[in-house]
Amino acid sequence: MGRSATTKDAHALFHSLRSAYAATPNNLKIIDLYILFAVATAVIQVAYMAIVGSFPFNSFLSGVLSCVGTAVLAVSLRIQVNKDNKEFKDLPPERAFADFVLCNLVLHLVIINFLG
Amino acid sequence: MAAPKVAFLLLNLISILPLLVSSFSPDRPTDRRILVVLDDLSLKSSHSLFFSSLKSRGFDLDFKLADDPAIAVKRYGQYMYDGLILLSPSTERFGGSLDVEGVLDFVDSGHDLIVSADANASDLIRNIAAECGVDFDEDPSAVIVDHSSYAVSETEGDHTLIAADDFIQSDVILGNKKIEATVLFKGIGHSLNPANSMVLKALSASPSSYSTNPSSKLSSQPPSLYGTAISLVSVVQARNAARIMISGSLDMFSNRLFRAGVQKSGSLNKYEKSGNEQFITELSKWIFHERGHLKAVNLRHNKVGESEEPSMYRINDDLEFSVEIFEWSGSSWVPHVSKDVQVQFYMMSPYVLKTLSTNGKGLYHTSFKVPDVYGVFQFKVEYQKLGYTSLSLSKQIPVRPFKHNEYERFITTAFPYYGASFSMMAGFFIFSGVYLYNK
Repeated sequence: MGRSATTKDAHALFHSLRSAYAATPNNLKIIDLYILFAVATAVIQVAYMAIVGSFPFNSFLSGVLSCVGTAVLAVSLRIQVNKDNKEFKDLPPERAFADFVLCNLVLHLVIINFLG
Repeated sequence: MAAPKVAFLLLNLISILPLLVSSFSPDRPTDRRILVVLDDLSLKSSHSLFFSSLKSRGFDLDFKLADDPAIAVKRYGQYMYDGLILLSPSTERFGGSLDVEGVLDFVDSGHDLIVSADANASDLIRNIAAECGVDFDEDPSAVIVDHSSYAVSETEGDHTLIAADDFIQSDVILGNKKIEATVLFKGIGHSLNPANSMVLKALSASPSSYSTNPSSKLSSQPPSLYGTAISLVSVVQARNAARIMISGSLDMFSNRLFRAGVQKSGSLNKYEKSGNEQFITELSKWIFHERGHLKAVNLRHNKVGESEEPSMYRINDDLEFSVEIFEWSGSSWVPHVSKDVQVQFYMMSPYVLKTLSTNGKGLYHTSFKVPDVYGVFQFKVEYQKLGYTSLSLSKQIPVRPFKHNEYERFITTAFPYYGASFSMMAGFFIFSGVYLYNK
């Protein structure tokens, strides 16, 4: 009796989340996809290190941090560009995107150096 | 006119005299002087075969009676002899300046010693033997008796003349010709001090022998020395390569027993000539370094492909190692051939242990890879074989890790990380394009 109520609630929650997500604008969905790609790559690298060992540790860190850094920068872009976010109401999205590009350049410069 | 010339010549000769008499040193090992201390001058003739065999091998024998006041092995700090033979079992005190301390000092400086006790051996001889690691039976009237391994003779004796054939198994010490005949022995026995690791039994008694006074009734207590724990002749090789032989019988060296036929009781073999002469002669060859004295020279190592010895190796380097080992043959250094010389690459424990292969001419070589550990290593050759002088060589060499530019440029195990980083960059470009030009 209780179990079926919980599953019904779970179903209801899942459906409401899906419909709410469908309502987000396309550019945010693109950013979300990009974040997912970065996190997935990070997880793959961690699993690989768990199997093979951490021999060139600097390379491992460089790879993981490039993924994590990319994800973080993408998240901050998404926060700044989201029209529902009242804190960044006055920030032009072009400015947010320009910051994103500059930070990414710095990130990748550091990554290439540390890759070894 | 002639006198100053003669004086000059004499002065020159005297100045090189100290060089002529020295212990067995690898540089000048021939023609050595031996002091023979006897307690009875008739030994010169009754043991003449033994002495003549020594003389024929180039030794200068200096016979002195035990109480001769002129006995001295050392004068003004220089040793006058290279070897000492004490055939004076009943002497309580030597004349001159020789005593237990003097004999031990002589041996400690690297010289060789043959000492023989006999029935009624004096305390002096017993003390010398005890310092060498051998304990004679404390009962002064006890001799070795063996009722099942004695020498058969026409008269039924008291079985004190025993026939022994339990030799030490070593071709170096006893020569490579097997001693067929048994050895005749008549005297006292000793046991080895268990704390001493350098003394060996050259001739052991049979399990049925024991030490007792043959003329008195056997006491109710078992004898203190019995069985194979009894050693009839022992040898010691000291760490400074001095060699000592301790025998419990003076008669064993005599012409009479050299020439006597022997038949061991209970055995059908009858030998025309006892094994004494062969045994004593071969053993004396070993004692005076004509066999089994090794020297190792020219310990070299280098990287494969180079000929110079580097001051430092890197981990995972390939290197070659070689050493030359010679044995003194009595007249010259000949290459020593053996299959079991090993080298260790050692730092607290051996990381590499390899058996060296030889080219038959005394050169031992091998090559191996430096282990993947850095630190200060030593090449160590520790060679200790029964009857040979022990070799203990070591050479230190540091080993460094890779320099930062000695790694391979692209490490294969890191390719996924390289791939991930570049894919992130590509992803960034593609994302920017898609994001900007998305309607």
